[in-house]
Amino acid sequence: MNMQSMTLRGKDRYKSGVLEYKRMGYWEPDYQPKDTDVIALFRVTPQDGVDPTEACAAVAGESSTATWTVVWTDRLTAAEKYRAKCYRVDPVPGSPGSYFAYIAYDLDLFEAGSIANLTASIIGNVFGFKPLKALRLEDMRLPVAYVKTFQGPATGIVVERERLDKFGRPLLGATVKPKLGLSGRNYGRVVYEALKGGLDFTKDDENINSQPFMHWRERFLYCMEAVNRAQAATGEIKGTYLNVTAATMEDMYERADFARELGSTIVMIDLVIGYTAIQSMAKWARKNDMILHLHRAGHSTYTRQRSHGVSFRVIAKWMRLAGVDHIHAGTVVGKLEGDPNTTRGYYDICREDFNPMQLEHGVFFDQNWASLNKLMPVASGGIHAGQMHQLLDLLGEDVVLQFGGGTIGHPQGIQAGATANRVALEAMILARNEGRDYVHEGPEILAKAAQSCTPLREALEVWKDVTFNYESTDAPDFVPTPSVAV
Amino acid sequence: MTQPQPQTNEGPLEAVDLRREFADLGIGAVLDQLDSELIGLAPVKTRIREIAALLLVERIRQKMALATTFPTLHMSFTGNPGTGKTTVAMRMASILHRLGFVRRGHVISVTRDDLVGQYIGHTAPKTKEILKKAMGGVLFIDEAYYLYRPDNERDYGQEAIEILLQIMEQQREDLVVILAGYGDRMEKFFQSNPGFRSRIAHHIDFPDYSDPELFAIAELMLQQQNYRFSAAARDAFIRYIAVRKTQPLFSNARSIRNALDRIRLRQANRIVSRLDRVLTADDVMSIEAGDVLASRVFSKDATDNET
Amino acid sequence: MRITQGCFSFLPDLTDEQITAQVQYCLDRGWAVNIEFTDDPHPRNTYWEMWGLPMFDLRDAAGIMRELAECRRVYGDRYIRISGFDSSHGWESVRISFIVNRPTNEPGFRLDRQESVGRNLRYSTHAYAAERPEGERYADR
Repeated sequence: MNMQSMTLRGKDRYKSGVLEYKRMGYWEPDYQPKDTDVIALFRVTPQDGVDPTEACAAVAGESSTATWTVVWTDRLTAAEKYRAKCYRVDPVPGSPGSYFAYIAYDLDLFEAGSIANLTASIIGNVFGFKPLKALRLEDMRLPVAYVKTFQGPATGIVVERERLDKFGRPLLGATVKPKLGLSGRNYGRVVYEALKGGLDFTKDDENINSQPFMHWRERFLYCMEAVNRAQAATGEIKGTYLNVTAATMEDMYERADFARELGSTIVMIDLVIGYTAIQSMAKWARKNDMILHLHRAGHSTYTRQRSHGVSFRVIAKWMRLAGVDHIHAGTVVGKLEGDPNTTRGYYDICREDFNPMQLEHGVFFDQNWASLNKLMPVASGGIHAGQMHQLLDLLGEDVVLQFGGGTIGHPQGIQAGATANRVALEAMILARNEGRDYVHEGPEILAKAAQSCTPLREALEVWKDVTFNYESTDAPDFVPTPSVAV
Repeated sequence: MTQPQPQTNEGPLEAVDLRREFADLGIGAVLDQLDSELIGLAPVKTRIREIAALLLVERIRQKMALATTFPTLHMSFTGNPGTGKTTVAMRMASILHRLGFVRRGHVISVTRDDLVGQYIGHTAPKTKEILKKAMGGVLFIDEAYYLYRPDNERDYGQEAIEILLQIMEQQREDLVVILAGYGDRMEKFFQSNPGFRSRIAHHIDFPDYSDPELFAIAELMLQQQNYRFSAAARDAFIRYIAVRKTQPLFSNARSIRNALDRIRLRQANRIVSRLDRVLTADDVMSIEAGDVLASRVFSKDATDNET
Repeated sequence: MRITQGCFSFLPDLTDEQITAQVQYCLDRGWAVNIEFTDDPHPRNTYWEMWGLPMFDLRDAAGIMRELAECRRVYGDRYIRISGFDSSHGWESVRISFIVNRPTNEPGFRLDRQESVGRNLRYSTHAYAAERPEGERYADR
């Protein structure tokens, strides 16, 4: 890379006409990012023949102050402060033609506590910029000064556990299936059976809103009957994520208020409602003692491909700031996309107070969360009781394990499916705490637990061969070697 | 909790490779450490080796299902202050841990004040709290005889004694108690409290150090701190030992450590009193005769309590 | 019925050996261990009575097992739970909690429904055991 600053200074800088971005002050290899700067890491793939440094400087420019030509009105501002500065460009290992661009943004560029404003800058215009073939936002370093302007998760892992009186094990959930078509009355039956059988939560799916087969009020009323019945049948606190996603903010508030009135502990929203709506719901949840579950509906349209879009780790960071309590973050072993190391990075972002830079997990920056609440990751999609040891090992204890098919598809019925999952989980936690090598002895531990639990025995038999082994489309670029050279 | 510690999942063993067993447990290393870090104390070291051997055999007998009860392991360490009782207790805890007779191998060291309360209802919780902390390790009670005050019938120490005796009997596999103190006073204590005597399996007597042993201790301590005696200081310190022993409140190795602390202070003062020179490593390592001889121990009216 | 609060309620009742291992797990992490008991099994009954203070700085589970035996001797007809408390920053809360003693008969709960405006219902969970005064709830059942 060219390590010289090429910025024009003085009068020449503001001569009318078109100037290369790297000469306008968007490429400053000597720049030392300040503690208060927002830093973004982009994967930049320039069009053939475009100088990589110029392409990266253009990304800095287009995501901050620049336009395609020199404007004299820059001179009415402290322009140098507001210019984003690309200060480092590295070739992507094993990926010729792509570059990692490190770009620093002054904190004054962003409105306090607004994901909408942050994203309007960082991913606003620049992704359609013609000189680039593709562009991906890989990671961001959010300065403590900025983190502190956000509410963060309305409830957080610790208080969620305290409210639910559930400690020391992952929580268990299931998404009601079939996703579409059940009437409110039938839907509530599934909720009751699953909760009574031993799950902590049931969940609406992302596209369950208010359709001809089931109006949202029917769903809420029957679900809460089911929750309360299950609570009385077990003496244990239960919940169901009532999806309040709707066409307008007013509709969502109406639904959320009704859920609160009925005594629900948790409501749910979809990522597709948008950042502002998410932040509004997080504030509502904080005000109303409600846990807020986020289903990341739609994210794969821009997170999945390695070359273009926004990495899910960035979405996870934004969502922790925005203030949701639960976020789907992958299963590794289930049916949906998820490389183990990358997923590990997502989980750390949700749950730790400090994330050290860890390239092999795709984490490019130290990130201090300044005691912002922790966000509970949710693992959902194609997982079952027979994988319990792997799930516990890969995902840890502070996670919601959602066994949809793995509960409702049980040959002996939904209650049996729920019981199988709960017994498998408790047996695994017991063994882990006893110091057993539960990862390797997992199948034995499950078999032993199944001796006194017929539902578990059946579950292990039915799903024994189910695995989803496909190559990940979003693995980290850096593999752990004794000397990671970057 | 009622089983002996060294648990085996298989059936009783028929044969045991003794050398391997000994090596695997690392007992030799602890004994060697004891040899190298403690000067002298030959009778104590012999007793420790005997006890270690006994316990090793006991462990093997348990593996062979020949031992049916958990052995009593409580001990009494008697001797004057500064004769190495606390250090030996730490090594003993480590040996017991390696052999599997205590689960954690830590030592909780207490005196009467930690166990006995000031008012009614205070003692039992205090004693129980300490016992809970010591579970899985060794409870070392220094000057144990202070627990018992025959002159005061209502002394709360009696309550602590009763709780201790109960635990020493009922939870032998959870806790080893070592009672320590002066030989003669411990003897009296055991006479008045036969319950203790009957629960103590091993008595170890710690003799006073000889003059050459005390000197060797001093040299070892200095060496560990990167100091050394000059030839003249060496002679002075040998004289120091002889004189100090005759004075009150002498406590063996502890008195030596305290003397060395003060000697280092005097050496530093001597060095700093002459600022205009270049110091060598030799200068700052060397203890001179004057540093030793300035001690009040050598003054005629040496009634001070330099212990 | 069997109330399923706590970490291991779906497994057969833990043996003392199993409880010891779980307690040791807590101690090995530096957590304080607390023994609590109650005869009000309501799921929102947060504050069970404490059997003494939480036990800090212990190395070995034996001391806690002795307290548990003592608690069972006195309150063996009630629910007893053990919890591990983590004081480290960012948690400062319970990290594990499990039931180690239950009444022989658990009568369970009645769900009361109060009809309200429209189709709304107000629910309340009523523990049959709580119909009697505290301390007499499970005595002769």
